[in-house]
Amino acid sequence: MKTRTLTLLIMAFVVSAFASHSVAQLTGQQIIEKVYTNPSGDDTQGNLSMTLTNNRGEQRVRNLKQYIKDDGKVEKKIMYFLTPADVRNTSFMNWSYADGQSDNQWIYLPALKRVRRISSDSKSDYFMGSDFTYDDLGDRHPNQDSHKLLREETIDGKECYVVESTPKEEGYMYSKTITWVMKDNYLGVKREFYDDRDRLLKVLTIVDFAKVDGFWTILKTEMHNVQRDHTTTMEFTDVQKNKGIPNSRFTERSMTLGN
Amino acid sequence: MKLRIAITTLLALVLMSQAKAQDNLDITGYVRNYTGVLTGGDNDFSIVQNTLNLKFEKSSDRIAFKVNPYLHHYFDRDLELGLREAFLDLRFDHFDIRVGKQQIIYGKAEGVFITDAVSPKDLKEFLLPDFDEIRMGITAAKVNYYFGNSTIEAVWAPVFTPTQMPEMNSIWRPAMPFPMAPTYDYSTEEITPSLENSEVFIRFSNMGSAADFEIVGGYFWDDDPTMHITKQINPITMQLTGLTVRPEHHRLTMGGASFSTPLGPTLVKAEGGYYSGKHFQTETPTIPDATIEKNYLHYMVGLEYSLAGVMLSAQFIQENILDYEEGIRNDEIESTMTFLAKKSFLREKLWLELFAYVGLNNEDALIRPKVSYGFADGFDIQLGANIFVGDKGRFGQYNANDMIYTKLKYSF
Repeated sequence: MKTRTLTLLIMAFVVSAFASHSVAQLTGQQIIEKVYTNPSGDDTQGNLSMTLTNNRGEQRVRNLKQYIKDDGKVEKKIMYFLTPADVRNTSFMNWSYADGQSDNQWIYLPALKRVRRISSDSKSDYFMGSDFTYDDLGDRHPNQDSHKLLREETIDGKECYVVESTPKEEGYMYSKTITWVMKDNYLGVKREFYDDRDRLLKVLTIVDFAKVDGFWTILKTEMHNVQRDHTTTMEFTDVQKNKGIPNSRFTERSMTLGN
Repeated sequence: MKLRIAITTLLALVLMSQAKAQDNLDITGYVRNYTGVLTGGDNDFSIVQNTLNLKFEKSSDRIAFKVNPYLHHYFDRDLELGLREAFLDLRFDHFDIRVGKQQIIYGKAEGVFITDAVSPKDLKEFLLPDFDEIRMGITAAKVNYYFGNSTIEAVWAPVFTPTQMPEMNSIWRPAMPFPMAPTYDYSTEEITPSLENSEVFIRFSNMGSAADFEIVGGYFWDDDPTMHITKQINPITMQLTGLTVRPEHHRLTMGGASFSTPLGPTLVKAEGGYYSGKHFQTETPTIPDATIEKNYLHYMVGLEYSLAGVMLSAQFIQENILDYEEGIRNDEIESTMTFLAKKSFLREKLWLELFAYVGLNNEDALIRPKVSYGFADGFDIQLGANIFVGDKGRFGQYNANDMIYTKLKYSF
């Protein structure tokens, strides 16, 4: 009887281990697609505080209010700059397409009193002097890169997949990125960015995340440029999900009149 | 007078700060010192200007207002107090109404005015000030109706505001090629405010993923007066004995359009306007007051591109007088180009910029290199130069006015 029980236990262990192993056998592409399709709500609004710290520890703070709406085909984002005073009332709008089509971007400068379309190639430019490029802030479509699962490891007590993503396009600003994706919620918890000479350039760390209105939401991130030793911290407050932001929020009128 | 302006400003500040404390009034603005020195001659200061610019704004879901007074102090001129804008907004679900003094900007071109004919220009210092200072507010009622990503805008301006020209003795006074000192007759320059003398503009704009475009039209007064010239000639000697110049504004009708669209990594822009009723100076002796009415086209194509973090932009602009006749002082086709290169360093603390106008007809140019450094949040230090190339034409006529300047600006 004991032998039979032991055999059954061993079989159960083997089966469960096999089952668990088969779950782990997601490909890098599948993992990044799960990150990309992670439910984040149809819309999000909140305040963003961005702290730029240089290698001497000097800090500059920028505050924005942002609204994001995603209908599955187009993600529309509008940002209103609140401080510092010299950029106050400037607004920036980005439309990002799920089919990989180039983003559309507009800026409203209150001194010029008109909304200007800007070249979306500026996605490799740094956003407001931060360590985030415009592309870092958007959702990069999984099909723009080739993904390889490198390993699984635990960081800060979180079990993660480690996925390397190499851009398909030539001349992209990063030669590769490596992302640590939490197994339990498919949130990226850390990402390393490598420059065109394959040297580590920046490290993005998710400092705080929580469920907001039922959706996993990143609340605080830190981007550290290891080559220049400066850091940008982004903190999201008053975050609200699925409040029914109207389409009229993402128009010329909204950019001109402010938040 | 200066004392009265200062007291009024202080009183307004005190009242506004009280209001701010009570009712969340938004007060922003800047303080700026702008000092320019000519690099030729005796290195005279071309400008020493201290500015206080204030913006008082308050808005709720349905109403808003903005008042933007400014105060310029010069070492060699009277204190200048003005209102750049002062308007009230009424906001409804699908339309807004704005009434008061306001700046209204049309078109896609940068640094040139193609269909941008609503707000007149302050050219007291040529094209050198920032563009929000060049464009003057006009007293108008504006209605914007919104549907989807489109807007229809109608503007009614009951009071005509002309271009602000430089003072008679200013170094920015444009060259007037008269053979002798004229006598000015200003009797026809004034446009009496009346319903018949109103200006009207209409604009349709659409913003979409493929392109942004705008269609505009207007019936308005030419902001620049036409100089009607009467010659007095001695009948015996046939020598010119006198000249009378009578500035007069004429009605213009304009229709135009503009668009901008991404083409791969490049942004393509174009803008064009057809102007009817423009009066040009002519040297044809048989035309009595030396002016002739012609229609003209004004258009631009431009490209914007980012390369290695440098924002590059170029525009090609032409003014084309239709049904041209010999003797007209302007060329039949006048071509101008603009170039812009701009890059930031030190995480957007340091900006380098080079902007240039190049006149192709007269081989003249205005080259404007500029460095600005964000010393602290809101505090900007700027060092720049304005270099005029050539000896005639729109830019070459100022070739004695090359200057370097600094601007210290604190925004709050």
